[in-house]
Order: sequence, then C-alpha cells, then structure tokens
Amino acid sequence: MRLFGRHDAHEAPHPLRQIKLFSTLSRREMPVVQALRHERNYLAGEVVFDEGDDGEAIYAIVSGEVEILRHDGGRQQRLAVLAAGEVFGELALLDQAPRAAQARATADCMLVVFFRADFMNLLETHPKIASKIALSLARHLGSRLRQANAGQRQDGHL
Amino acid sequence: MRRLRPSGAGPLAWCGILLATTLALYLFQQVLWLVLPFLFGLIAYYFLAYPMQRLMFAGLSQESAANITVGVFALLLVGAFAFMLPRFAAQAVGVQETGMRYLQGGLLLLDQTLRALEQQSRFMRDAHVADAVSSYIAVAGEGFAQNRLPSLMMSVAAWLPSMLLAPFLAYFFLRDGRRFQRFLARAVPNAYFERTLHLLYEVDRTTRAYFQGLVKLTVLDAVCLAAGLWVIGLSSPLTLGIITAVLAWIPFVGSVIGCALVVMVAATDFPGSPSIAYASIGLFILVRLLDDFIFMPLTIGRSLRMHPLITVLMIFVGGAVAGVAGLLLVLPVLGVIMVVGETLSIVASDPRLRARHAHARRLRWQAVTRDL
Repeated sequence: MRLFGRHDAHEAPHPLRQIKLFSTLSRREMPVVQALRHERNYLAGEVVFDEGDDGEAIYAIVSGEVEILRHDGGRQQRLAVLAAGEVFGELALLDQAPRAAQARATADCMLVVFFRADFMNLLETHPKIASKIALSLARHLGSRLRQANAGQRQDGHL
Repeated sequence: MRRLRPSGAGPLAWCGILLATTLALYLFQQVLWLVLPFLFGLIAYYFLAYPMQRLMFAGLSQESAANITVGVFALLLVGAFAFMLPRFAAQAVGVQETGMRYLQGGLLLLDQTLRALEQQSRFMRDAHVADAVSSYIAVAGEGFAQNRLPSLMMSVAAWLPSMLLAPFLAYFFLRDGRRFQRFLARAVPNAYFERTLHLLYEVDRTTRAYFQGLVKLTVLDAVCLAAGLWVIGLSSPLTLGIITAVLAWIPFVGSVIGCALVVMVAATDFPGSPSIAYASIGLFILVRLLDDFIFMPLTIGRSLRMHPLITVLMIFVGGAVAGVAGLLLVLPVLGVIMVVGETLSIVASDPRLRARHAHARRLRWQAVTRDL
C-alpha cells in the first residue's frame, strides 16, 4: 500500500487526445473524461491482467508497450503487441465476461484506466460523450475483427 | 496456465465481518457527535445525487453542479426554517403542557383498557393489574423525568450544533467523492487495483441503495400513515405520519414508540371513544405489515443482500453494544463492512493475485538496484 509520497501525485493529468478512443472528443468534453481516469505505472514484465480475470476496466496506453498473450494448453501464444495510443481490455466495457487473454507490459509503461461503472454512469450523465466513445469503440472492434479475418485467411482457415 | 479461483468469503471471514461491525458500532457510539452528522450528510448526499446528475446531464461540470445543488438545497432549508420558526416559537411555550396532555390521554386509555379487561378476567382482577401498572408507570415516569430526561435533553442539545456539519459534509461528498475514490485507488498495488476499484464501487452502490431505499420507505410509510390517520379523523395526520415514519428508522424500538405516540394522540383527541385508538393501532399494524412484506423488499431489502437471521441477530447485537445509536446504524454499517470483508477475503485468498504482486515487487526491486 502506498498512502503517501506518490511521485506523480501533483503532475498535471496526461492528455488523452493521443488515445484513439477519445480522439473525437471536443476540448469541452475532454475534462469530463479526464475526471474519470485512473493512472497506473507498470514495469516491463508486469502482468496488467490475467486470462480468466473478471474484466472491470478498459486500459489505454499513454507510453510504453503491452503484449496480449493467450495460453493454449501449455503453449503461450502472442496475439498482439500494442503501443502508445492503443486500448485493450475493451470487451470489459461491453459485457462482464472473464478476460479472454493476458496483458503484460513489455516495456515500462504508463496506462490510463477507465472503470466500467464510470462508463455506464457516463451514458446517463453525458450521453453525447458516451456515444462518441462507443462509436470509436465500435470502429476499433470492427478493425480488430477485420484483422482477425485477414489473419485467418492468410493461414488458410477461411 | 493453471488458475486457482478463490472460493468466496468463508466462515472465518464472516466471523471477522460480524466482529468488525460490532467493534465499529462500539467506536461509533463514542463519537456519536460526528457519526450522526456524517449519517445525515450521507443521506443528503444520496438524496441530492440525482438532481446533481441531472445538472451534469445538462452539461455542467461536477463542481458547478454540486455548488448549484447544495446552494438550492441550503436556500430551501433556510426558507423552511424561516417559515417554521415563528410557528414553532408560538407553540414552544405550550410544548410541555401539550406533551403532558397527550401522555395523560394515553395513560387514561391504558387504565380504561386494563379495567375493562379486569371485568372480563378474574385472574387479572385478583392480581389488581390495572392498579399495579398505573403505579409502576407513575414511579417510572417520575424517575425518568427527574433522572434521565435532563441528561437526555442536554445530550440532544450538545449534538445540535454538530448537526450543522451535515450539509457541509454532503457538499464535499458531492463535489469530491470521485476524487477521494481515485485517491484511495492510487494507494493500491497494481495487482489488486481492479478488484479494489470494484470494491469501492460496490461499497458506494450498497450505501447509495440503502439510503435511497430508506428515503423512499420513509415517504411511503409517511403517506400511508397520514392517509389512514386522516381517514380515522386524528389531528395533524401528516405531522404524525412523518414523525412515526422517521422513528421507524430505529428497528423495533422506533416502531413501538411511533405506535405509542399515535395511540396517545388518538386517546387524547377522542377521550370518550377508545375505538378510535384501537383503529389507530390497527392502522399502525397494517402499515407495519405493508412495510415488512411489500415496501421493505421493494426498497431497502434489495440493497442489502443479507440473510434475515444475520440481520435480526445483528440488530440485537447493535442495540446491546451501542443502544439506540447501534439500532439505527447497525444495518448500513453491516452492509458496508460485509462488502469490504467479502471482497478483501476473496482478494487475500487469491493465490494468483498474491503471486502477481510478489512478482511486481521483485521487478521494482530489480529496477531500483540494477546499477548498485
């Protein structure tokens, strides 16, 4: 537990504009989302969340890199390496299913975290902002689906 | 990867939850001057959270919405106080006299009822139940008026200034509640972060549901009682309905005091017709039944998912440990400690989370000692 002496306690909030999910928000809308964020620092090799965990939050990378891994039997399969500006764990916003893969920092990184309950509350209080984020999220999931389909075609599965 | 799933709070964790609740009630009794304003501040916070959310929906920031909501609430309070003060001052002189009149009315009804029962029962007549009860009440009432009442009035008078804290607390809960949650979450290691966030939201959800349910239940109780008393023909039905509904916040004891109050008013307003007082008792029992079987499950019952046996047991424990304050506080305190205890127990007993935390500590240690 760290109750005192956080080195980043007095730093200005990191701009979210570089994160794709929030890139469509206006200057007036951004502070509403800023107020909901939690900032976390992870070291290279540290697990962000595990496969099978209850998904409660979505993560966005401010700096550093995160790899997404899936354990298939005894084998560990790397699904993606994500860099600054990208988001992961986004399915937690949509359903309460367990995490489908493990996320692990491959370099020291700073992440911003948004809790599902906050996002649901945003739908009630600021539906315009929430719908912009939801649209960005839908585009993001669409692109992931296209990438997955393309990958399967290349592997000869489709 | 082999993942051992935690199995939830076990018997040891539950013993800890019940013990922590008892200890918290004991400690709260020692700082009741702070706990009561905090409680009323929380009720005001959850009552004002919805209008504040509507303002935020209209596009205001959290701070502006909190300022406007609490500002309007304070103006309404001051207005109500200014409206009620002259009326209260006009009647204040006669409060003791009115109270004594209602007490005498209630005692007269009790005496009449016991004497009527003595006519029916030889056993009661032989035991002189009516005389015994009357003399006992006279002695107890005198003792209470001489010994307990002055100290009780002094403690209530001492608490009143601290009650001014309640609106201030509500304001800061509304304005900085989220900031406080983030402050707490910052102190938690990465491995436990998501679970802890979930815990904080569950505590907030439980207390919000409890206090919003309590306000709804009070309104429903007050409306039903006021309507019934108005039909029966008692004076000031709305005031009586509100007072008895608020008294019902104290489990068991509050309901009995509320019922006694209604019966005393009925017996004094209609001294020659005890049937009105009996009708009031019937109405009170009907509203209690509605409350227990319909209103309570619809409002508070859904917020605290507790076994009825634990609820009743803890109400008795709360009363024994901290008196009336314990009865009043036991359910919300138990609800919050239950959520905290269950989650902590699940988090602490999850070997994977502990392993991840140990791994993160090793990484941090390696990072800071790399060039030594």
